Amino acid sequence: MAAALSLVGLHKSFGSKRAVVDLFLEVPTGSLFGLVGPNGAGKTTTLSMATGLLRPDAGSARVLGRDVWADPAAAKALMGVLPDGVRLFDRLTGGELLRYVGLLRKVPPPDIASRSRDLLEALGLTEGRDTLVVEYSAGMTKKIGLACALIHAPRLLILDEPFEAVDPVSGEGIRSILRNYVSGGGTVVMSSHVMELVESLCDELAVVAQGRVLAAGTLDAIRAGTTLQQRFLELVGFQASGEEALTWLRSSSTSS
Amino acid sequence: MVALLVHLKLTLLRNSLRRSVWRTVGLVIAMLYALGIVVGVLVGLVALRATSTALTGDVTVVAFSLLTLGWLAMSLLVFGMDETVDPSRFALLPVRARELLPGLFVAGLIGSPGLATVLVALGFVITWARDVALAAAAAVAAPLGVATCFLAARFATSALASVLSSRRFRDFAFAVLALVGAGLGIGGNLIGSSLGAEGGQPLQALGRVAAALGWTPFGWAWSLPADVARGRWGDAGLRLVLALALVAVLWWAWGHFLGLRLVQPLESGGSAARIKQGTWVARLYPATPAGAVAERTLRYWRRDPRYLAGVAGLLIAPVVVVVTQLSNPEGSAAVVAFAPVILAPLIGISVAQDVSYDGTAVWLHISTGISGAADRTGRVLSTLTIFTPLLLVLLVLSVGLSGQWRLLVPVTALTVGLATIGLGVGCFVGSLWQWPAPPPGANPFQRGNSGGLPALLSFSVTTGLTLVLGLPTVALVVASYWESWLGYLALVVGALSGLLVLRIGIVAGGRVLDRTWPEVMLAVSEKSA
Repeated sequence: MAAALSLVGLHKSFGSKRAVVDLFLEVPTGSLFGLVGPNGAGKTTTLSMATGLLRPDAGSARVLGRDVWADPAAAKALMGVLPDGVRLFDRLTGGELLRYVGLLRKVPPPDIASRSRDLLEALGLTEGRDTLVVEYSAGMTKKIGLACALIHAPRLLILDEPFEAVDPVSGEGIRSILRNYVSGGGTVVMSSHVMELVESLCDELAVVAQGRVLAAGTLDAIRAGTTLQQRFLELVGFQASGEEALTWLRSSSTSS
Repeated sequence: MVALLVHLKLTLLRNSLRRSVWRTVGLVIAMLYALGIVVGVLVGLVALRATSTALTGDVTVVAFSLLTLGWLAMSLLVFGMDETVDPSRFALLPVRARELLPGLFVAGLIGSPGLATVLVALGFVITWARDVALAAAAAVAAPLGVATCFLAARFATSALASVLSSRRFRDFAFAVLALVGAGLGIGGNLIGSSLGAEGGQPLQALGRVAAALGWTPFGWAWSLPADVARGRWGDAGLRLVLALALVAVLWWAWGHFLGLRLVQPLESGGSAARIKQGTWVARLYPATPAGAVAERTLRYWRRDPRYLAGVAGLLIAPVVVVVTQLSNPEGSAAVVAFAPVILAPLIGISVAQDVSYDGTAVWLHISTGISGAADRTGRVLSTLTIFTPLLLVLLVLSVGLSGQWRLLVPVTALTVGLATIGLGVGCFVGSLWQWPAPPPGANPFQRGNSGGLPALLSFSVTTGLTLVLGLPTVALVVASYWESWLGYLALVVGALSGLLVLRIGIVAGGRVLDRTWPEVMLAVSEKSA
């Protein structure tokens, strides 16, 4: 069976800055895959290239065997995407936005209506259906973005920082939606820099830093007995500064 | 503190230049433009030295009062003309408003509007430097006047800040600005023609306006040298006291509101109103991707202030033409009848800039994999939905008001032909160039937010190409002046060539988009440049 997402030799430079360097990644079908890395590691760049939003300098991306850059229409039909740091059509209400995405995805209008109702209810957005998205809080905006990614029942979900700014209650709602989705045969690829979250949710992951994959595999294989946090710090090469740093910050050491 | 804030302002300006080449080019053009105006005004002021003190007084009082009024109006309508050093950013720092005031005052004057005003005020002193008394009066008046300009603007914006920061008001202000522009155009024309009709006494009229403005707060300071020149020392003294008091009161009040803002920084926002579900819009178009794009963009025509201002802006020119020609006894009826033709070639521009207005939200079109042709078709459909009724009303009104019903056929031919050709050209041009546009509700005149060169290029290529492709229709309409049956031929040629260009524009523009979606995404992102 073809991998849900397969990235082969991706390269991307912005001017002199090399954002992604020769990146290989294989996401097995039916997994909840975490992409972790420090700020500026190239997570968003990688996901943009996998979803057809950013043209790679070299390399290819395949979704369930369809090449994203050679046959974009077929690959895009299989994916649901939640990008980070881009605007939504926020002068639409939540309900109108969902209908818009549904129509663009060629979902039959009766299905759009019933799925919108279900999604808004599952994500706790029923109250916001008739409110302009521009008036939403950051967390609500994330949630309506997730609903948009789900409305056409995709086989693969690609989510960039799906839990950012989401409160714990809604976060639990999203987790159960994702777990359900995976147990029903779907595949999720999500980026995050919160290790505890990835540890509790994902079964496979890849650690990315400076545009390269440092480690990839199952959760247990990567954390190798210690915590994911500890293992992650080892991989990206973090040296904790000792107690002598920032001593002036200690309230007891100054007179004022 | 003054040096620190000025340094901050300069650093911010320099860094904003560093962000993109387009921005730098745009800013340089804007500055050259401003410089051109300033130089022109300075030359005019120096030339005034050759005239009488009475004329110099009238001209300078009117011009500088309007400048002061302009500062107030622009900062109120175009809120935060310069928010580079935004006072609410200081809310977390342990400083008092009174400590910040002098620094913010000086920093605020750095930047194109402030520098231009200071330079023009220098010209004011130069033009009055004819003897010691006049030079002294002008040297006192100029700083007071500049301070009034700046402080009045800052006082008004900080006093109204809580109202101005709500999204609803900003949306509203944008539309108001367009209407005010239209009003000024019509008003200026009417005043001009009525003054002309009075029998060539413009100088006396100017004197009356100057006398009236000189006693408003906008003219107190600027009238000082004119009073001295006339030897009215009493008036001069009174106005000096008034001007000084005004500056003092404005300074105090600005500090007061700044202090308030430091303890309660404004959160933009407001109550989230519910939108009624508009079912008629949803039924207007078929349930296809193209229909969905049409439905969404039609909603944007109503909810996005940029589109509202766009419609208002496009309507200004034809309405101004109709009103001024009708109010002028020597106006031409034919010009009135042809007014809709001014609007027709411009509607393609809205399609050409549509994707830029979407901004990064256009990722949705890319990610859902809709075809470029569907995207183009949807945008054309909604633009037609908006402009067809507008053009029809304008057509009937202008031909009706002119009373020249025999012109109905040629005017219709040109309007239909140029409008459809314009849409087709806009479809194609819109797929070629995009730029990062300010998001809806943001200050449209914010520094560095303009589309700069790509927007200008898109505008001129769209209108230019439309006119070139419309030449056959234009030629037939001109010929119909002698052979009226050619007007009917023009109607046929206009409609057919329009449909052909529209079809080509949608197909070719769609192909370009299909090929270059990721590049489009890059072009509309702020980071791209």
